[in-house]
Amino acid sequence: MSKLALTLTINGERHEVLTEPHRTLLDVLRVDLGLTGTKENCLEAECGVCTVLLDRRAVNSCIVLAAQCQGREVVTIEGLARDGALDPLQQAFIDHGAVQCGYCIPGMILSAKAFLEECPDGTEAEVREALAGNLCRCTGYQKIADAVLAAARPNPDRR
Amino acid sequence: MSFEYHEPTSLAEAVDLGARFGADGSFLAGGTDLIIQMRRGKVAPPHVISLHRVPGLDAIEANGRVRLGALVTHRAIERCAAFRGQLRGLIEGAEVVGGHQVRNVGTVGGNVVNASPAADVVPVLLALDATVTCVGIDGERTEALEEFLVGPGRTRRRAGELLTALAFAKPEGRTATAFLKAGRRQAMEISVVCVAARLKLDSAGGRCVAARIALGAVAPATWRAHAAERVLEGRVPTPDVLREAGRVAAEGCRPITDVRASARYRQLLVETLVPRALARCLERMPERAG
Repeated sequence: MSKLALTLTINGERHEVLTEPHRTLLDVLRVDLGLTGTKENCLEAECGVCTVLLDRRAVNSCIVLAAQCQGREVVTIEGLARDGALDPLQQAFIDHGAVQCGYCIPGMILSAKAFLEECPDGTEAEVREALAGNLCRCTGYQKIADAVLAAARPNPDRR
Repeated sequence: MSFEYHEPTSLAEAVDLGARFGADGSFLAGGTDLIIQMRRGKVAPPHVISLHRVPGLDAIEANGRVRLGALVTHRAIERCAAFRGQLRGLIEGAEVVGGHQVRNVGTVGGNVVNASPAADVVPVLLALDATVTCVGIDGERTEALEEFLVGPGRTRRRAGELLTALAFAKPEGRTATAFLKAGRRQAMEISVVCVAARLKLDSAGGRCVAARIALGAVAPATWRAHAAERVLEGRVPTPDVLREAGRVAAEGCRPITDVRASARYRQLLVETLVPRALARCLERMPERAG
C-alpha cells in the first residue's frame, strides 16, 4: 500500500505528513502530530468529540480521510488561543462552568466557533441546533448554551 | 480499512477510473456513509475514488430546471436562497440530517446512492419528480429517481458508473412543498417515518392540479403514495380530503417493525403526517400564479 505525501495547514502551520490512504484526519492529528486535544470516541460521526474546522467549517475528523485535506486548512482546539490568551469562547466556557468531565468540550467549542463566525447574532435555539451534533453526558447543555451566547455579539433582541 | 486512493481532477478521469475498477472501486463523495461502512467492515473496496477535486460537481443551478450536482452538501441546500419559497420542503429535508458537521460534508448524490429507505432528502426529490443523471464509460444517461431506487442500499446505478446530478422542474404557479419527519428526538435521528409533499392548485377554484406524496422508512425504498395522490387530484383539498389521502397512504404502505418502531405505529404516523404535510403546503401556497 503506497503512502501519500500530504501538506496540511494546521492551526496556521504547514505540516508535511506521510501516511496511508485509509487514515483519517483524526488519526493524523492525534497520532502523527500529537494534537490530542481533538478527542476520539464513536468513530461514526454521531458524538462530535472529534470536531475540527476544515476550511472554517465544522466537520467530524473521524470520517474525513487525511488525504482529502491535502492543501486545506484545519483548526483544532490547540489553535484557538492567541499569544497565550484564550479565545473568548474558551474563556466563556470557564466563566459559565460549562465544563464538567471535559471530554466533549473541544468539539463543542469548535462547533460553536464555526456557528458564531457564520451567525454572530444567533439565538439560543440556533445555538442549540448548531451544537446538536455534539453530545455531552454531564452538563445538560444549559451552561454550554449560556457560554456560547455570552461569547456571541451582544444583541438586545436576543431571546 | 485498506485501499488504493485516487483523486481524479476531471469528470472524464473519474469515469475512466470508475470503469477501470468496476465493482472493485467506490466513489467517495462526503464519506458520511462510506467511511463508516468501511470501518465497520461492511464494504471493503480495493480502490477509493475521491470526487472532491472534480470541478463543477458541487454546483447548484436554479434557473429554469433545478440541477443539484452530486457533491452539493446538505448545508448548501439549506442555505440556498432560491429554495426558500416553493422549494422549502427541500430545505426542510436537508436541515434535519445529522448535525452541522455531517451536513457540511454529506452530499445529495451520496444520499441517493446510499439508498437508505429512511433518507430524508430523497422523499423530497421524489415528490419533485427528480431525475438522476449517471455517467459511465458508454456515456451519460438520465432516468427517473423513482425507477433508480430499488431497495435498501440498492439502486440501478451500474458498476463503475458515476451519479453526477439530480434535476427537477422548478415549481411554478400555485405550488408548495413541505417535509415532515418523526423521530424520537429533534436532531441526530434516523427517521421513524418521513413525509414529503408537493401540491399544485389551479389559479381559479383552488382545485388540486397535481399532488405528490413520498414517504421514507415505510418500504424497502423511498416510496411514492400514488393512490393517495389520486385522492387529491381534481378535488378541492378540504381537511376531509387531506385526511382521506392520509388513510389511503397508510393502507398502501408496507413498513416493517424494527428497533425504531413497530409497523403499526409507522402506519399511524403516515396517517397523521400525510395530511399534516399537505396542510403545510396549503398554508404556504402562493396566492397568485407566479
